[in-house]
Amino acid sequence: MASNFSGVLQLTDLDDFIMPSQECIKPVKIEKKTGKLGKIRIEDDGTYFSVSETGEEKKLEKAKVTLNDCLACSGCITSAESILITQQSHEELYRILQENKLLIEGGKEQETKTVVVSVSPQARASLAVKYNLTLDTVVQKLTGFLKKLGVHYVFDTSFARNFSLIESCHEFVKRFYDSETSPQALPMLTSACPGWVCYAEKTHGSYILPYISTTRSPQQMMGALVKDYFATRINCSPAQIYHVTVMPCFDKKLEASRSDFYSDVYHTRDVDCVITSVEVQAMLEKESISLADVEDMPIDTELSHHKDGVLVNHAGGGSGGYLEHVAQYAVKVLHNSVLSSINYRVMRNADFKEVVIETEGKPTLKFAQAYGFRNIQNIVQKIKRKKCDYHFVEIMACPSGCNNGGAQIRPEVESPKDRFQQVEELYRNQACLLPSEVSEVERLYREWLGGTGSEKAMRMLHTKYHGVEKTMNILNIKW
Amino acid sequence: MMEIKEVCSLPGHEEVAWGVAWNPSGTLLASAGSDKVVRIWAQEGDKWVCKSVLADAHARTVRAVCWSPCGNYLASASFDATTSIWSRKGGEFECIATLEGHENEVKSVSWSSSGSLLATCSRDKSVWIWEVNDTEEYECASVLSAHVQDVKQVRWHPTKELLASCSYDDTIKMFKEDNDDWCCFTTLKSHTSTVWSIAFDKTGSRLASCSDDKTVKIWQEYLPGNPEGIATKDNEPVWKCVCTLGGYHNRAIYAIDWNHRTGDIVTADGDNYIRIFRENECSDKNAPTFDLVASVRQAHTQDVNSVSWNPVADLLASCSDDGSVKIWRIVTTQ
Repeated sequence: MASNFSGVLQLTDLDDFIMPSQECIKPVKIEKKTGKLGKIRIEDDGTYFSVSETGEEKKLEKAKVTLNDCLACSGCITSAESILITQQSHEELYRILQENKLLIEGGKEQETKTVVVSVSPQARASLAVKYNLTLDTVVQKLTGFLKKLGVHYVFDTSFARNFSLIESCHEFVKRFYDSETSPQALPMLTSACPGWVCYAEKTHGSYILPYISTTRSPQQMMGALVKDYFATRINCSPAQIYHVTVMPCFDKKLEASRSDFYSDVYHTRDVDCVITSVEVQAMLEKESISLADVEDMPIDTELSHHKDGVLVNHAGGGSGGYLEHVAQYAVKVLHNSVLSSINYRVMRNADFKEVVIETEGKPTLKFAQAYGFRNIQNIVQKIKRKKCDYHFVEIMACPSGCNNGGAQIRPEVESPKDRFQQVEELYRNQACLLPSEVSEVERLYREWLGGTGSEKAMRMLHTKYHGVEKTMNILNIKW
Repeated sequence: MMEIKEVCSLPGHEEVAWGVAWNPSGTLLASAGSDKVVRIWAQEGDKWVCKSVLADAHARTVRAVCWSPCGNYLASASFDATTSIWSRKGGEFECIATLEGHENEVKSVSWSSSGSLLATCSRDKSVWIWEVNDTEEYECASVLSAHVQDVKQVRWHPTKELLASCSYDDTIKMFKEDNDDWCCFTTLKSHTSTVWSIAFDKTGSRLASCSDDKTVKIWQEYLPGNPEGIATKDNEPVWKCVCTLGGYHNRAIYAIDWNHRTGDIVTADGDNYIRIFRENECSDKNAPTFDLVASVRQAHTQDVNSVSWNPVADLLASCSDDGSVKIWRIVTTQ
């Protein structure tokens, strides 16, 4: 079975047609009950029944491997879709919405969950091209669609990306100063792509993890905003909010499942469920409605990146613009100068670009964009050999970046390449605002976090990585 | 009459011997084994002796070896997930690069005809293409995840930048460069079990494959607009199976090599045999027949893992699970 995860994750999966992988070393916990063994009968639908000697039948429980189990195991990065379906899918969102309805009908309104959906700009661009709508229209239609299903708030993850970009800039400058004494401070590698982070944790551990930016991805920034700031603002417990994100990539489901983003105090995740562009398409099809025919509703601007109610974007391309924002900030702070334009030089292929900043004719800062597995490889190997002279690398697992994410809607007629071009163009043709131009972000730093670099800011806006120890099972070696 | 006469049996590998490869001038034979080393053999007087042992580069079995077209470099593929590049200066070999990236066991390595590209494949199901720059640095040019199972071997076309790979998924795939990345442009399906090994003929318009299904298949390239009228798609050549050699082998066939001087095909199998096949000159080019012209029963005492034609002389090298490396002379008598 082909999997939906990005190429990087698929590569490390060995036998994804079997579930779980043949090299899965996570022991599945089975509640053993003592007693005499009986027969096991398999029904046509795949359920198992144990039949005791007395003829008593009992349905057997299915062994389950969770996404979190998979993250902790070095055997594979599972792509078994059934695992995704049981935990993170639009079916799960429907289930929560249905529960809410039943609770209201039963007069238990106070027990319902507040459903918040945060939509990524890449997913919106994919939907816009699919349904031949403008981005502004998609914002309204999608909000209308979700609210009609019972969703309470619809936000935009670009708002959270303001925090990702600001924190990345600060982290870079700090690492730049630290690099004089700390050899593992640079190059700083971006952390927004969960496929890349997961690959680095499973295969490169301590060699590479220190270089990965601790800044949370926009999805997980949004998680902190919704479950901490927003929950307090609307005066409810984080666990009372069901937070869904709409993403261009299946790997985001793995990211949301990380234990780093689970609150032991409130027993809740920052992001409860991730659905993808293709799943939104599936939802629309389930409701037998085209996005164009949905009634418009305005997006909730409180946690959205907007100007006068109209959503805006960030400059620097479909993967978030980390390189551009960090380069501009670094030049400002380190060189006390202004970077008027960013000149990308295409290196060995279109997915590997370089930006060199010169002062008085000498290169002083080197940035790179490395997308796709082959380019990730070359960066990783260079770092391992201490031959990487970049200061900063924007890394994404998917070739062409997030607008080409594995969960973006696939074209029916045109080539995937043409479809990507359309999505990218639409995405890039939006008005942009710098994070520093958003007064609401500044206010949140002040009032919610208690200032830049505060203990709370570090806790809410940063994360940690964990190398996965390799285990080798001799029985699995095939010649 | 053709005969395969044993020239010598070369002891040295302490465990299974997995791969043999002649250098382009046919003067050096490299062999690899489970003892984690590569051995270099050369003739001294009328004896073949071990000239070098390339050790300390690999932590596990060395599965395959391949010489660069210039003969100055040797690549070794290992189960430790790395591929090592050795530079030959005079009689000395030095490991100048280690290619990392495969998730687990590397099964095969092959140098393109220009020497500027290297291909590797692994149990991780991927095929990697590496580019060599002027400073002897190797950079990953592509990671190809076309196969759905363990990839057993990679072989470059004898003149073009076209790569073939074969797999535990029973298929052979061919790759070429498209814009700025590589892509699989055709899949050859006909074998019913693991395809263990492949070899191009001298012109590169034919490919021989051998399989766990105990057959050898000959595949022929048909270009767009071919006179035979074989349909092609998207202006790409098609590869058709034009011959299946069944009934000769009793066990899985592990290795195949096509002699670029004589056109003969040699196979090695799990029944300890070495066999040589020759195309019947009278047969139709589009439906060729091949005759078994020579064979050695018990060529080794266990599975024969690899065979390689000497590129200049009538010599053949083989190696086996029994740890031995053998050199054979092909003698033709009237």
